[in-house]
Amino acid sequence: MKFIVSSSYLLKQLQVLGGVINSSNTLPILDNFLFELDGNKLTVSASDLETTMSAVLEVDSDSQGSIAVPAKLLLDTLKTFPEQPLTFVVEDNNTVEISSNYGKYALAYADGAEFPNTIELADPSSTTILGDILATAISKTIFASGNDDLRPVMSGVFFQFSPENLTFVATDAHKLVKYQRQDVQASEVAEFIMPKKPLNLLKNILAGSENEVTIEYNESNAKFTFENIELVCRLIDGKYPNYEAVIPKENPNRLSIDRVQLLNSVKRVSIFSNKTTHQIRLKIAGAELNISAEDLDYSNKAEERLTCDYQGDDMQIGFNSRFLMEMLNNLASEEVSLEMSLPNRAGILTPSDALDEGEHITMLVMPVMLNN
Amino acid sequence: MEEKFPVRKIIHVDMDAFFASVEQLDDPGLRDKPVAVGGGEKRGVVAAASYEARKYGVRSAMSGRVAAERCPELIFVKPRFDRYKEISLKIRKIFLDYTDLVEPLSLDEAFLDVTENKKGMPSATLLATEIRQRIYEETGLNASAGISVNKFLAKVASDINKPNGQKTIPPEEVLEFLEGLDIRKFFGIGKVTAEKMYQLGIFSGKELKARSLEFLTEHFGKSGTHYYHVVRGIHHSKVTPERIPKSVGAERTFEENLSSEVFMLEKLTHIAEELGRRLKKQKVAGKTITLKIKYSDFKTQTRSRTLGYYIADQSLILELAKELLYQETLENSVRLLGLSLSNLNTGNTEEEPEEETALTVQLRFEF
Repeated sequence: MKFIVSSSYLLKQLQVLGGVINSSNTLPILDNFLFELDGNKLTVSASDLETTMSAVLEVDSDSQGSIAVPAKLLLDTLKTFPEQPLTFVVEDNNTVEISSNYGKYALAYADGAEFPNTIELADPSSTTILGDILATAISKTIFASGNDDLRPVMSGVFFQFSPENLTFVATDAHKLVKYQRQDVQASEVAEFIMPKKPLNLLKNILAGSENEVTIEYNESNAKFTFENIELVCRLIDGKYPNYEAVIPKENPNRLSIDRVQLLNSVKRVSIFSNKTTHQIRLKIAGAELNISAEDLDYSNKAEERLTCDYQGDDMQIGFNSRFLMEMLNNLASEEVSLEMSLPNRAGILTPSDALDEGEHITMLVMPVMLNN
Repeated sequence: MEEKFPVRKIIHVDMDAFFASVEQLDDPGLRDKPVAVGGGEKRGVVAAASYEARKYGVRSAMSGRVAAERCPELIFVKPRFDRYKEISLKIRKIFLDYTDLVEPLSLDEAFLDVTENKKGMPSATLLATEIRQRIYEETGLNASAGISVNKFLAKVASDINKPNGQKTIPPEEVLEFLEGLDIRKFFGIGKVTAEKMYQLGIFSGKELKARSLEFLTEHFGKSGTHYYHVVRGIHHSKVTPERIPKSVGAERTFEENLSSEVFMLEKLTHIAEELGRRLKKQKVAGKTITLKIKYSDFKTQTRSRTLGYYIADQSLILELAKELLYQETLENSVRLLGLSLSNLNTGNTEEEPEEETALTVQLRFEF
């Protein structure tokens, strides 16, 4: 087995794949990249058993073979080279020899057959979506997902496909984001829960991508195919909570305000809030929004007044300032609207502008019960 | 100086080829044969080699393949850490008969401060002989010992008459001994540092001693100060008995101050890895994770979160650490990040009292 490949091209691909590899693996073979050579087609794979990502690379070769090469060693080596052709030759003594312009390097390899097989999806359904749209959907939602081991379903992002639209939902039971695209459709209704790790990988690779991504899925796995890359992952097993039921329908109180102005006020005031609850208080009356916080333990206190557009009854509601900041930070609009009903029901935050045609974002945040 | 630092009597006890000896003890069929513990599997490394195997050049940390090449008759046995631990505890009990100041370095070696010992014996040399004798009687295993005025010298000394021997470096011989000592034998000088020392023309203690403190700190940083003192017989490190830790942590100071969270994520990954490793090593898990941020103006901030369950998994730690990092905006550029876990499941730490009846309640969606 022998092939020649450009060093920077190989490095670029391996760095993308390297994101899959866990820093400590129970199975030592997972510390490797799998190299499968078939003529001038080299398929490189990385896996953590849950997620497997592979890329097809064009190389100069006429041989075949399959080996597993230590990922860290190879990446560390490649990083040091300026662009140049590298020759990989698999020797009989269980080492692969790399020749560069500077010299030779031998790495011990393992038999490619030891590498876990990639899961083949049995009769999958499929949908295509533009790479950048998928990346946006992920980054708009993933921050709201939870870390609770007891509710694993909430540690992922819920993908809900239908012939009308695609919907992405994440929640940790305190906050919730629903991101919907009316401009993209699936051929049939489908639902699955994607774990965070592969989503973060996809988000990073696909940001700004004009390429189509094909998503194939069945009960237990999903496969994302784009350009020369294929990512297969296990889905989170379980039933996603009925999130629609917690979105309040009647919200008579509606506040419209400049997003950055609100964010900055919340940021400043929250410094004075209690360090464990991060609670701030919104008091709305007429066209004035009063934001205040206090930390009784230290006698710290802050209060700001903002002018806003408000329709509804005068009200007081408490929120965890961290949640509000995360959500406001994740939006790009100039103005946002906050719809509320009662101080113990979720507030609904939506952007008033800066959305694509067919794009909808709904953010929910549960209040903190104020102790008056 | 003598008055400020009275002469101490430190013994370093080191079991001879501990794992391998235990195996030979338990299985008479292995006695007098070259034995390697670990390294049997394809990618395994030898954890310990019997003296018979060492004759062939088999060393610990050597890959099983190389070891088998050097010594074709080598017998590989699977390590049985529970058994080693059991014997190690037995040996520790013996130590505790002599002094409470016992600092275990690993399962098979420990420092003992016998300046004041329970037997009231003035001679640490005789004490060491007695301890080794008792270890042999009670476990059937050989130990070597080094006796001197500080931990560094005791450790170096225990290697000299190994196996089954001991060496005393009395106070009056310390300086002479250090001058003649090969630089590679200095505890704390590894391959890399030794190489660097060689290039600077330092081969033994004598040449090391000839260098100024400035010279050593210039070339070796903080360790330079350590080397400067050690070669003069000064090493104040105390023998500290093992304590059950209240928290486990890891931190890192950056070469340059970082101003954006984005650049810290990679660092945080490394810190979480290190913390994960330490938790694994100490076999503990914790409920409270704390992120420490030291700003460029040395102001320190901590952000922590207490969970309802114990965690030790590094990926989970990393996730939580990221949350803590992004929880608030940074006040300034950052010079150090640290992560620690407390509220450990070691059993004896008191749980932090539950937060007082909360004045405020974060509401949840009713899923």
